[in-house]
Amino acid sequence: MAELTYREAVAAGIAQELARDESVVFFGEDVAKAGGVFKTTVGLYDRFGPKRVRDCPISEQAILGAAMGAAMTGLKPIAEIMFSDFLAVCWDIVANQIAKTRYMTNGQISLPLVIRTANGAGSRFGAQHSQSVENWAMAVPGLKVVAPAFPADVKGLLAAAVRDPDPVLFFEQKSLYSMKGEVPDGEHCDELGKARVLREGKDCTIVALAAMVHRALGAAAILESEHGIAATVVDLRSLVPLDTQTVLAEVARTGRLITVEENPRLCGWGAELASIVAQECFWDLEGPIVRVTTPHVPLASADLLEDHQVPSVDRVVRAVREALS
Amino acid sequence: MDVIMPQLGETVAEGTVLKWYKQVGDAVRADETLFDVETDKVSMEIPAPAAGVLTEIVVPEGVTAKVGARLAVIRAAGEEAAPSAGPSAPAPTAAAQASAGQASTTQASAAPAKSGAAPASPARGSAAAAQASTAPAAAVPLRARDGRGGPPLSPVVRRLCAELELDPGLISGTGPGGRITREDVLLYAESRRPAASAPAAARPPAADAQTRPLTLVRRRTAEHMARAWATVPHVMQAVEVNFAAIGALRRAHGPGWQAKEGFPLTFLPFIARAVCLALGKFPELNSVFEGDALRLNSRINLGIAVDLQREGLVVPVVKDAQARSLAELARAIDDLSSRARAGRLVPDDMSEGTYTLTNNGAFGTVITAPIVNAPQVAILSIDAIRKKPVVVEAAAGDGIAIAPVGMLVQSFDHRAVDGACSASFLTELKSILETRAWQDELRLEGSD
Amino acid sequence: MALTSARRPEAAGAPGAADAVIDRETRLALYRLQLELRYCEKRAYDLFLQNLIKGTSHLSLGQEAIAAAFGVAMRPDDWTFCTYRGHAHTLARGASMAGVLGELMGRQIGLLGGKGGSMHLTDVSHGVMGSYAIVGAHLPIAAGAAWSAQYRGSGQVAVCFFGDGATNIGAFHEALNLSVVWKLPVVFVCENNQYMEYTPIGTVTAVPHPAADRAAAYNLPPILVDGNDADAMYAVAVEALRRARAGEGPSLIEAETYRHSGHSRADPATYRPAGELDEWMKRDPLVRYRARLLEQGIGEDVLSGMEREVLRKVDEATQAAKSSPPPSIDDIEKNVWADGGSAWRN
Repeated sequence: MAELTYREAVAAGIAQELARDESVVFFGEDVAKAGGVFKTTVGLYDRFGPKRVRDCPISEQAILGAAMGAAMTGLKPIAEIMFSDFLAVCWDIVANQIAKTRYMTNGQISLPLVIRTANGAGSRFGAQHSQSVENWAMAVPGLKVVAPAFPADVKGLLAAAVRDPDPVLFFEQKSLYSMKGEVPDGEHCDELGKARVLREGKDCTIVALAAMVHRALGAAAILESEHGIAATVVDLRSLVPLDTQTVLAEVARTGRLITVEENPRLCGWGAELASIVAQECFWDLEGPIVRVTTPHVPLASADLLEDHQVPSVDRVVRAVREALS
Repeated sequence: MDVIMPQLGETVAEGTVLKWYKQVGDAVRADETLFDVETDKVSMEIPAPAAGVLTEIVVPEGVTAKVGARLAVIRAAGEEAAPSAGPSAPAPTAAAQASAGQASTTQASAAPAKSGAAPASPARGSAAAAQASTAPAAAVPLRARDGRGGPPLSPVVRRLCAELELDPGLISGTGPGGRITREDVLLYAESRRPAASAPAAARPPAADAQTRPLTLVRRRTAEHMARAWATVPHVMQAVEVNFAAIGALRRAHGPGWQAKEGFPLTFLPFIARAVCLALGKFPELNSVFEGDALRLNSRINLGIAVDLQREGLVVPVVKDAQARSLAELARAIDDLSSRARAGRLVPDDMSEGTYTLTNNGAFGTVITAPIVNAPQVAILSIDAIRKKPVVVEAAAGDGIAIAPVGMLVQSFDHRAVDGACSASFLTELKSILETRAWQDELRLEGSD
Repeated sequence: MALTSARRPEAAGAPGAADAVIDRETRLALYRLQLELRYCEKRAYDLFLQNLIKGTSHLSLGQEAIAAAFGVAMRPDDWTFCTYRGHAHTLARGASMAGVLGELMGRQIGLLGGKGGSMHLTDVSHGVMGSYAIVGAHLPIAAGAAWSAQYRGSGQVAVCFFGDGATNIGAFHEALNLSVVWKLPVVFVCENNQYMEYTPIGTVTAVPHPAADRAAAYNLPPILVDGNDADAMYAVAVEALRRARAGEGPSLIEAETYRHSGHSRADPATYRPAGELDEWMKRDPLVRYRARLLEQGIGEDVLSGMEREVLRKVDEATQAAKSSPPPSIDDIEKNVWADGGSAWRN
């Protein structure tokens, strides 16, 4: 086991896959020589050279279009979109082309590509550089969607994404780049579509994703020590494929679901989960399903405002206590 | 999927199917009670391992089958003839289901049993794929309210009340605002459930009020007692024990103990501890008479008889009592007796006993000659402890004092040991109880 | 007002028809391919009128020379990326007519099993890597395929066909820039049929030649060619492919042409000025090429024989397509993922 930061795990994951498979290539804006604006890809250019690690112009449509063209003709590209907000700039390529082409061509075209991007708030970058947009991708059929919360999962799920034969959007949470965590030594490849139960408690099930996983864990600790409430915490890890079995099992056990989502309120990923639980687990529910989300407004830049908007540990604690009262 | 004979206890190899609650062709919900099975130690309700239709009953009522044998077949929702083509979730076997049920009942009382509610969801997931949002098809309609002005019932409470045919108006709610929780329902259901399989409907007398059919436990008790009486030559011996010292300790430490442990500190743990110490010196009384040999047990597994009032007697066992401290014995005894009264004992709770205590004193008797719990060779009755005048010897002259005094009465198997052995044991027991430095044991407890 | 309608489509700055030496066999191949494209497209029109083709179709009648020229010049392992007006480009690489007509009719025999339709014709086995319905989207995709060829050193070339309207969309500019910077083996072919959907291209474009006049912005030589002259197109194609394969980078070609029908089925094209269509019909590529072949000594019987044969081929394909059943409802859940399924949850 080694201790890596979340950002180091990104580079480690890409490096592992570049080393393993000659058809893997990596490109994006400022990713090669500069090592990435978030310093997530430091060292890759030096190790693998300009043929496999490429800098691109500011051309999101060209970047993802090229990823698609390369993927359909024998390569396994990893493309970076610097801020997940910029996916809107090339959303045609993501939603109309990449997501739909295998289906429209009845299986003729394969697109084994990964789009990795820096997602989420907390860095005071303002409304257009702080969004969590994994729910956009979840809403388009034909895209796999992953959002790791821990360095080990960054490496393991990125490897799994690269090896997956389908297009995967890999959402890194920029507020987590500095966090440290244990990462297994040697080759590490995890599995898409598998949630992880991080903590067991009989009173409620809190399901969270990416940065909100840590808020959920913090809240669970306070709930236990100060309020005698034992919470189960589930790290969803993938939105598509969605590990509904784990969530349903945990909610059946505890009778309660609380989600913690960084998306704005409407159509966050938790809405779908709540709907599935309400339909398939209704007769095990002790009380209403509660979603803790960012309010349905753009994110503000001032630190006080942004911190108030994104679900905090306190807000999760309060929501759980209210739900159980 | 196959419904198989579950593992009902470590030493149990087979069970008898007592009653099927479903007929071939009936729809079955996951965790709905499917059949009753009986072993020589216990009878249990077994839930269905998956939702679907009961397509075959292989082992009918009254027939015995080995653990693991196929008893019935359920065609799970989404299956054709072959195992499920639904989402790839492993469906729990009846054995896994039963052991999950057992596991939950052996948890500490803080988390009361959720019978069958635990790993239900894999099956529920695959069932859900076929039948999303189906309200439980209960014989009793769903009730939305408890009928006494409490808050609306949650979905899980509504379902359970319907499935278990309970009146929510009779269930006390421990949730916020007096809300009935899932645990409240399950606790209530467990407390009402007799160990026997006879449904409540059969209980109220019909035309003839004088006939009371025997419950399963009563029947088993009857058989056991008759056998023991017939084969064991019983001899009864008693000692009178002065419990003054222990009584004083109880007065001094009792309130603190109660506050800390949540249950009172009675004489029973002291007696249990003393019995273990005494049996250490007289291992023949902790043995099994095997016809041509006396098998001495290295462990003292102390049975504590618990009276279930009209429901009969059960004897849960504190395993390895010799290794337990006074406080540990007290906790174990309290736990077992609480669970016995709540009907939440499992077969392993009642196995491998080597010596038995029976607390008849709770009912006020002076002296009781108990029947030996064969194949054990001895049993001790603890009769009422009452204030009596006692003679106190002193150099200055004898006097009379008032002390709590009670009889300890041992019945023993005269094939295994003689009177001298038993008597010596009893005097040793008396000595320990009257003269041991019990405060040291209590003080040690206080410091942890 | 269409600025270019009166201009003579002489090849300015491109190898002229007179310069190219194209052997007889190639010329016959060029004619035959144009015949197949024309007859099949006409058949599609007829089937639409019989209500056997639903939805919409974008016909390229009149633009056959461009697709045919590249079809003959390209290697079998080169790639075609074309627009929703791509029936001809798909057929030109050797895709089956029954597959194309069947797809338009939504039948199982269709190239896409009825899942994609007219605008998304794809035949990977013949290098047709998709027809694209979002204007301009496929230019960067073609660049990506070219990158793959460059990376693997395979010598393959990606040829990307698009219309005049695409030259004004962002993806065009991003793709050209990237292709030049990375020196990718991609050929961008603008089929300037004078109209961006219903609007004359000149009224919405800052420069007269929508592609050729942008070439300099990307450090590329302008290539303007008569898109209705199969020989001229062929010569330009051969050179561009050579250049790409030699590692000299991309080409941007503007081929001037005209479409006989409206933008799509729904369009009677009444926005065209009177007489414009007639003018261009005189420059119908098939009519011109036939005349040239006769001039070059190819016998009338050879040509008529070819025409009959192609018509028969189209008839057979039509029959095969008509006899094919519609797709199964089960196909709805298939082929979202590589495992053939569409599951998003467990």
